[in-house]
Amino acid sequence: MKRGFGFYASIYRKILIQDLKSKMSYRADFIISTFGMIMTNLSGFLTFMILFHNFPSINGWDYDHMLFLYGFSLIALTPVQCFFDNNWNLRFMVRSGDFIKYCFRPINVFFYFISEVFDVKGIGQFIFGLSTFVYAWCRIGIPVTFVTIAEAVLFLITASLFMIAIMNASAATCFWIINSGYVMVIMFRFKDFAKYPASIFNAVFKFIFTFVIPIAFVAYYPSLIFVTPDNVPLLTWLSPLIGAAFFYLSYKFWMLGVRRYDFTGS
Amino acid sequence: MYNCSLAYNILINIKTSKCFCGKCDSVTRRIIMTDKAIVMKNVSKEFKVLNRHEGLKGSLRDLFSRDYKSIMAVNNVSLTVDKGEIVGYLGPNGAGKSTTIKMMTGVLEPSSGEILVNGLVPYRERTKNSESIGVVFGQRSQLWWALPLIESFKLLRDIYLIPQKDYDDMLDLYRSLVDIEPIINKPVRQMSLGQRTLSDILAAFLHNPGIVFLDEPTIGLDVSMKSRIRDLIKGLNEVKGTTVILTTHDMGDVDALCRRIVIIDDGQKIYDNDIDHLKTYFGSYRTLKMRLSDDTWIEKEIDESRTDVMQEILSAQKEKGVRDIRLEEISTEEVIRKIYEGEKSA
Repeated sequence: MKRGFGFYASIYRKILIQDLKSKMSYRADFIISTFGMIMTNLSGFLTFMILFHNFPSINGWDYDHMLFLYGFSLIALTPVQCFFDNNWNLRFMVRSGDFIKYCFRPINVFFYFISEVFDVKGIGQFIFGLSTFVYAWCRIGIPVTFVTIAEAVLFLITASLFMIAIMNASAATCFWIINSGYVMVIMFRFKDFAKYPASIFNAVFKFIFTFVIPIAFVAYYPSLIFVTPDNVPLLTWLSPLIGAAFFYLSYKFWMLGVRRYDFTGS
Repeated sequence: MYNCSLAYNILINIKTSKCFCGKCDSVTRRIIMTDKAIVMKNVSKEFKVLNRHEGLKGSLRDLFSRDYKSIMAVNNVSLTVDKGEIVGYLGPNGAGKSTTIKMMTGVLEPSSGEILVNGLVPYRERTKNSESIGVVFGQRSQLWWALPLIESFKLLRDIYLIPQKDYDDMLDLYRSLVDIEPIINKPVRQMSLGQRTLSDILAAFLHNPGIVFLDEPTIGLDVSMKSRIRDLIKGLNEVKGTTVILTTHDMGDVDALCRRIVIIDDGQKIYDNDIDHLKTYFGSYRTLKMRLSDDTWIEKEIDESRTDVMQEILSAQKEKGVRDIRLEEISTEEVIRKIYEGEKSA
């Protein structure tokens, strides 16, 4: 393999550096979008605060645990925002036929497409999520050991894989249907449910959010390992595997779309 | 039989012989490999077009619908292109040009028939094939929008694994052919259409591919930019021996670059020959215009195989006296137009 992991990592790093350089040169744009991101997060946080000042505990989850879940979901949603944001442009490119340009290079089409956009706005979200997460971590009094940190990293990665998989798969629907925008928006809205413990939903929704649209894996299941360490369900332990499988399937689905797409018209 | 990576070549190029895998002698192989840039045998592409419905509900229905109609975009086209040729690939809009190019570049799979590009089956080996081809689609830049051209070049160098020396040599060659200094540090998004096209062409040749596909490279450009781009293409073809497949609607491109043209209409190949031969497609004639002593112009079509130009002039001179003469060649554009129209009414 002359184009292995190292090759792709180095290409991605180079594109990223160039992209950041050019983004910095549009200073006003950079400042406004950073400011916008802070405001979005702040207003989301305020809603959360107001809600939990009125309901100090939901289904056995108190304020600190909810905050933990909230921070966890924000961090887990960062990679999809930062690295996979070009999925939002996929349907326009496919419809206009511009997508074809990704097929002429001797590299993976998915990589080439996704590497093109890096969304800096995700960084603000990451910082915000991380502070919330660390704050809640201390308040709950989770011990800081090598194991807990390793677990946190592993399950954060797992959780983000689920969200990436959901967005990949919903973006890829544009290869088959015209109004795929709806699918993406609906799926993206679902991520809001990730902030709440899945135990508050009734059995039907809990099933849907676990097995159909695995939003409950974005924060709920992985965070159980910290919130209720004595009673961790099997699904939590399996989630890294399920996450990797979901990601792989979404990638395959995406590539299947590329193959299937006819590129009619020019 | 398919153990040999060259099985496809041998199967297609030498129809009667089998692939003696393990016994393939390299001499035969090399001849096959270097001989032809592109071989297409009876290639057809059929599209199944879904009768689409409106709205989210409709599109969900389309997901399961089997309501197709089929369109023959390319119909039984055979074509062989030698290395180093510049071939003008012409045809009216919707004739199947882009579809053919997409099949040659490995984006589309032919419904039937066989294609070999640089000895590879493009659809099966898209990645490998894309290392030895370059593609430019006139209005669509393939460069990184936000990056200065030189940074795009460096990324392409890394993507195509171009050795540094080859890369430097190529940039030197570019400098000798066109003035790249004004664009080299400019982000692609700030470029004019002409500069962007120029950049795209340079990017397509950067990894020194065997074949470059240019789809309407001069569309929307001003006269001087057109001529610069033609010079560049011609220069690169001469120095690097690159095969160029050029689709265009601008006969100026054809006249300036192509010795051979292929015309396709309704998915079928209707002409494939030298450009000189094209002018005799409807009989070899020119138009002789003469201004007579009474200041009127008369026109006569001269078929050189039957009539003699001088004879015509002399006889007119005797009768009425000729003050001025003009001899007009039929233009490529005119012949092509006649071919397009003729095929449609037929």
